[in-house]
Amino acid sequence: MIKLNINGKQVDLDADADTPLLWALRDDAGLTGTKFGCGMGLCGACTVLLDGQVVRSCVLKIGDVGTKAITTIEGLSPDRSHPVQKAWIAENVPQCGYCQSGQILAAVALLKANPKPTDADIDAAMTNICRCGTYNRMRAAIHRVAKGTTS
Amino acid sequence: MNRTSQPTSSPLSRREFLTSALAVGGGLALSFSLPAQEGGPPRPAGPPAAPRSPSAFLQIAANGAITIITPAVEMGQGGHTGMPMIILEELGGDLKQLVVKDAPAEKMYNNPLFGQQSTVGSFSVRGWYTELRRIGAAGREMLVAAAAREWGVSPAECTAANSVITHKPSGRTKTYGSVAALAATMPVPQNPALKDNSEFKVIGTSPPRTDVAPKVDGSAKYGIDMVLPGMLVGAIKAAPTVTGTLKSFDDSAARGMKGFHSTVALPNGVIVLANTYWQAKSALEKVKVDFDPGKLGGIDSAKVSALLHSGFNEQGAVVRNDGDADKALAGAARVVEATYEVPYLAHACMEPMNCTVRANGDTAEVWVGTQSPQAVQAAAAKALGLAQERVTVHMQYLGGGFGRRGESDYAMQAATAAKASGRPVKLIWSREEDIQHDFYRPAAAIRFRGGLDASGKLTAMEARVVTSAAPSFGGPPNAGFYTSSVGDMVYDIPNLKVTGINKDIGLRFGFWRSVNQSHNPFMVEGFLDEIAFATKQDPYLFRRSLLQHEKAKRHLAVLDMLAEKSGWSKRPAGHFYGISAFAAYGSFIGSVVDVSMQDKTIVLNRVVTVIDCGVAVHPDNIVAQLEGGMVYGLTAALRGEITLQDGAVVQSNFHNYPMLMMSQMPKTESYIMPSTAAPGGVGEPGTAPIAPSLASAIFAATASRIRSLPLSKHNVDIIAARA
Repeated sequence: MIKLNINGKQVDLDADADTPLLWALRDDAGLTGTKFGCGMGLCGACTVLLDGQVVRSCVLKIGDVGTKAITTIEGLSPDRSHPVQKAWIAENVPQCGYCQSGQILAAVALLKANPKPTDADIDAAMTNICRCGTYNRMRAAIHRVAKGTTS
Repeated sequence: MNRTSQPTSSPLSRREFLTSALAVGGGLALSFSLPAQEGGPPRPAGPPAAPRSPSAFLQIAANGAITIITPAVEMGQGGHTGMPMIILEELGGDLKQLVVKDAPAEKMYNNPLFGQQSTVGSFSVRGWYTELRRIGAAGREMLVAAAAREWGVSPAECTAANSVITHKPSGRTKTYGSVAALAATMPVPQNPALKDNSEFKVIGTSPPRTDVAPKVDGSAKYGIDMVLPGMLVGAIKAAPTVTGTLKSFDDSAARGMKGFHSTVALPNGVIVLANTYWQAKSALEKVKVDFDPGKLGGIDSAKVSALLHSGFNEQGAVVRNDGDADKALAGAARVVEATYEVPYLAHACMEPMNCTVRANGDTAEVWVGTQSPQAVQAAAAKALGLAQERVTVHMQYLGGGFGRRGESDYAMQAATAAKASGRPVKLIWSREEDIQHDFYRPAAAIRFRGGLDASGKLTAMEARVVTSAAPSFGGPPNAGFYTSSVGDMVYDIPNLKVTGINKDIGLRFGFWRSVNQSHNPFMVEGFLDEIAFATKQDPYLFRRSLLQHEKAKRHLAVLDMLAEKSGWSKRPAGHFYGISAFAAYGSFIGSVVDVSMQDKTIVLNRVVTVIDCGVAVHPDNIVAQLEGGMVYGLTAALRGEITLQDGAVVQSNFHNYPMLMMSQMPKTESYIMPSTAAPGGVGEPGTAPIAPSLASAIFAATASRIRSLPLSKHNVDIIAARA
């Protein structure tokens, strides 16, 4: 049994310590918004926040999480009201949508650390793969949040 | 618009369909009943080819909810928005009352253009456009007739818009929901009046896509997210070669592991079942497996290339023979020759292949994101030993399709495991399985010869098109298919001979976004660029000179719009442009790529794309598809390559099959040609022009001609410009 702090709640999970956080979230905690893409920390579909920092949950063992606060896409807002979610909707960003949970969390972390990112800042911070090619719309959505015109 | 709709529910049971049909004396009626309940009993077997009924596409509830059942699945291309918009346009329905559902696996949802229920080939809007408009218009006329009867007035005195019927002389109104039940008893008009394009209020606008909101909060359900009581999760290891077969396995080291349930043997591999995916994957790693490589054993990429080149000397099938190209080339003042080649490619959908199956005795259910529901239904039925119609397919969102999810290999495997274990099974492929057991865009090559007369005019061309794999479509491989964009080019060349040669190597063929247009235009447009250079002509004006005839009008218009929008004739100093344009999927597409040089690095300044896709149903989504298609094509052009070693795919994950990233994304400008022509395809055409246009721009900048892909083989460094 491992205790994790997921989206502000203490959760007991019946999973081994070497289970990747991704699979503990999906199979044990029932939070399927976090996606499996590569299993090697290469694509970022499994991105979650750990004390506000971006991590790739497919290569992070739950035994190494400790008491840090995990934020998944489900914990971002109860009603799609987070400014990044609103901007994503306003720009019609997602296509297939599979990578977007991770992309949105990466953008949340970027904007928290750097509320007015330049294009170079966005290039450096947004390193998740989008196979549908929504990059320019994600960029526009991030700038939209920075300008405070999310809706 | 209902923006929380999920594509998971079964929209209309056969029983309800029959009931509503019987209610009007055996005729076909719009069923304005409430949507079918979910989780009802399995559908009884239906007739093999039911006629297409409006009720299968459109339901209006008493509360006004307009449920539209779309035969196009949602994989990010906008199928859950564009298709409903077409019905709503003619229905006069309020977009805010829309509820979207996926069609179940039923023959009545077969695409009118090609007779299959598959979301492929950029066929959805162009195949369904007229049919969906007729369904919407029939609905509107029946609703108006119902309201007119209640008022005791002539339907001719009534109008309908925004889900409200108005009696013009009196100003009285009724909502669609309030007359839906009566409307269901009205005769179905056989020739409902369709709007003139100038009257469109929905088509040509860009409302929010119905699938966007659930995709920003994690609530959108993909196949991989399915959970069932008592479900096991499977991890798979298939033979390293796609032609391989399982010889033996030993799972003794896996048997004691936590959560382990069983190992299921497949013809070509093993599936380990456990309580969770991580347990299944961990146990799978302990299973020893021995395979026979099959036909591909011993084949590597050098051999593939040699086989393609050997095809140049074979007779093949002549698909185009205008004039006498052999004679004209023999008598030409100058002959230009070039050979182009591209490698295999994998789809790499972000959501790895997966499928969930529950066998319920004499019926079964499948939860899957698929482009081809009936193919999945058939595959699962075969594995389970059931008649096809005993299997219900519950459609989920697709985490990418691109042609890969038109195949149903993973459904067959999941059903096999469900049968063997007696439990519901969710099978999840690893990324490695996905890259190494794809259906691949074939490696292909073309050898061109162009004949110029003494004045430099292109009088003859020969193209020998060789593919490493061709689909059969139930018959022998069709050279007309894999030579498309070559055999059917509209350039005015008096002596033109195009030959197709199939050198099938055994690596299975895959429909990869834009299919033949993912390579043939790169080669044809590249060679035309070479002719333009050889004759000292501007690449745009040279193409223009070959398009001065009636059949080339739309092609030429796209080329001209590209030149205008890109500022072709006013290229700034230090900027080098490449251009290409051609027909694809019932549309006309082209792009201009603008590059400059930073020392020896090529800076990609912008990509300007123009499409003439006829009527533009949802312009914003068309732009998204053009950008997304361009990224798909650019990813392949820069570094996309699947290679073989001893018959097995070498690449395994994103470290050696890399994808384009944000930092490499160029600036884009996309333009849609105003048109009232019938809609053409949109999802695939955008993939095609980037490779030829980029290669043309690189030549303009460096005088280095790119005749094979990916560019990473040519020591070309490319970066995206940033302000």
